[in-house]
Amino acid sequence: MKLLSYIKQWKSAAREAVAQASIAAQFLSFIHITDAYICSTTLVQGPSMLPTLNYSGDVVLIEHLSHRLGKLEPGDILLVRSPVDPKKIVAKRIVGMEGDRVTYLTEPSYSESSRTVLVPKGHVWIQGDNVYASADSRYFGAVPYGLIQGRAFLRVWPIGDFGYL
Amino acid sequence: MWSIIREAFDKTLLVAKAYGILHITNSYLCTVALAYGPSMIPTINLTGDLILAERISPRIGKVGVGDIVIVRSPVVPRRVVTKRVVGMEGDQVTYLLDPHNSDEVHSIVVPRGHVWIQGDNIYNSKDSRDFGPVPYALVEAKLLWRVWPPKDFGPMQHISR
Repeated sequence: MKLLSYIKQWKSAAREAVAQASIAAQFLSFIHITDAYICSTTLVQGPSMLPTLNYSGDVVLIEHLSHRLGKLEPGDILLVRSPVDPKKIVAKRIVGMEGDRVTYLTEPSYSESSRTVLVPKGHVWIQGDNVYASADSRYFGAVPYGLIQGRAFLRVWPIGDFGYL
Repeated sequence: MWSIIREAFDKTLLVAKAYGILHITNSYLCTVALAYGPSMIPTINLTGDLILAERISPRIGKVGVGDIVIVRSPVVPRRVVTKRVVGMEGDQVTYLLDPHNSDEVHSIVVPRGHVWIQGDNIYNSKDSRDFGPVPYALVEAKLLWRVWPPKDFGPMQHISR
């Protein structure tokens, strides 16, 4: 008898738990879809985009719409999955789209020698603003368009540097 | 009138929730792919097979040689292609340069962070022999189980060389 009443209690508690969990799941999936497909934030750090982005870290807003609509242009700062380390995401600037000829210094610290490449179809050429300390397309070649994760458009932290990129 | 609007809103919300769940399952867990074309004959039919593909293995690094994977094309970014992984990073891959006409082979070491993909039908397949090794991050899913046509229902053959 007592067992039956316990089961009844648990049933209603379980039903309420499932209802709350489903609300939480819907909320999380809404947040996730916004984060993955519309706008998200990232901490970007490292020397490769000096002086545009600080060495010790900037929080930037990333939008995920432009690259899906094909509206990227040279000069955009992109978040790109690294072709040499699939677990890493890097922030670089587009220097050339497919079909463009890109000229770059092969050894900026030591010599004036430069090389010109044609960016292949379906790829982009990305470089860090700080050519002296940046592993980018000059090192791993043009990057397939499918590796682009988003475009950084607004810096939100530090507050002194708040503004469009 | 307001009750109609409210009902419409509720129904739309329900559809949006269902779509959201379906989309997240499709993008992160498991999806059904229609694979067609001549490049994977005889493994995949020319006119198209429906195959269950899971998206978890590429994220946890469990893609290896012999797996059939769905890869975003490095040449046409809106397109996905289905090919077999022939070499992981560091592997030495040997392939025929022109299988129709000669026996000439070319050997290459797959660079770090990349995979070498080839179609099973090397006579009619655009793959890494044309566009080079593909960055691992472009691997989207691994084919698991063929669902249609019914006579071919079953697991995808895993071939390791």
